[in-house]
Amino acid sequence: MKLLIVDDSSIIRSRIARILSDSRLPAIQIVGMARTGTEAVALFQQHTPDLVTMDLTMPEMDGVESTEAMITLKPDSNILIISALSDKATAIKALKKGAKGFLYKPFNDEQLIHALLEIME
Amino acid sequence: MAADVTALSDIDEREIQVFVEAVSRYFSQITGQKAEIRAAFLTNNERALPVFEFTGMIKISGDYYGAIYFSTDRFLLSRLLQIMNEPRHGEEHLLDAVGEIANTLAGNARQHFGEMMEVSVPLTMDGKESKNLKGLRDRPYVIMVRWKQYEASVIIDIKRKK
Repeated sequence: MKLLIVDDSSIIRSRIARILSDSRLPAIQIVGMARTGTEAVALFQQHTPDLVTMDLTMPEMDGVESTEAMITLKPDSNILIISALSDKATAIKALKKGAKGFLYKPFNDEQLIHALLEIME
Repeated sequence: MAADVTALSDIDEREIQVFVEAVSRYFSQITGQKAEIRAAFLTNNERALPVFEFTGMIKISGDYYGAIYFSTDRFLLSRLLQIMNEPRHGEEHLLDAVGEIANTLAGNARQHFGEMMEVSVPLTMDGKESKNLKGLRDRPYVIMVRWKQYEASVIIDIKRKK
C-alpha cells in the first residue's frame, strides 16, 4: 500500500512515518512526503498513492484545497485529515470535499493506527 | 490556578480555560504526563512578553485578530522530540517543534472559538528575535506551564473584532 504524508512540520512527517513503520499494519510503502499542498498534489500525480495523511494548515495551498484536487484526480482516494483545527465546521468541510476520516492533533500512536485502519477497511 | 480576568473585556475566563485545557491535553497525549499550570495572569504590555529561548507564533485573523504564542527552552523541546523518537534535535527541528505546538494549541482552541478564528501557519523565533516581543492587547494573557522540571509559557494576545 502506497502512502503519501503531507504536513508542513518535518517533525510530524517523520513521526507519522516512524509510527507506521513500527506498527503491525499491512506493508505500507511511503512514496512521498510533502510540506505544502502544492507539493502534495504534484507527488500525488506522480505516485497515485493508496492512502494520504493530510494536514490542513499549510503554506501555498491548504489541506482542504489539496484534498479537493486529489479527489478530482482520483475520486476514490483514501485521505485522512490530521489537523489541530478542532471545530466541527472544518471537519465537515474536509469530509464534504472527499476526505475519508479526520484525526485531531495531538494524537498518539494508537489513535493514528486506528484512524488509518478505519480508512483502509 | 490564580487568574485575574477582570480586565479582559473581550476574552472571558471560559475562553482562557480553552487554552489551559489545550496545553494540558497536548502534554498528556504526547508524553503521558500532565503539565502543571503554575500561574495564569494578565501581563503588562509595557514590558516584553515572558518568552523563553524558542517561540512559536500563530497569527489570528477572521472574527479575531492578534496572535497566540507558545514559548519554551531547548531542553523541553529536546525531551519532547526524544519521547516522539525523533533523533534530530538541531535548531531547525526545535523551531519546527515549538511552531507545531503553537499550531496545535491555536487549532484546538477553534473547538470553542469556531472556524471564524482563522489561524496562520506557524512563525517561529529564537531568543534574539523574541527578546523584545510586544503584545497587541494592553494586557496580554499569560499561562505559565511546568512539565517535569521544564518551564513554558502560552501567551494569548487576541481581540475580538467589533
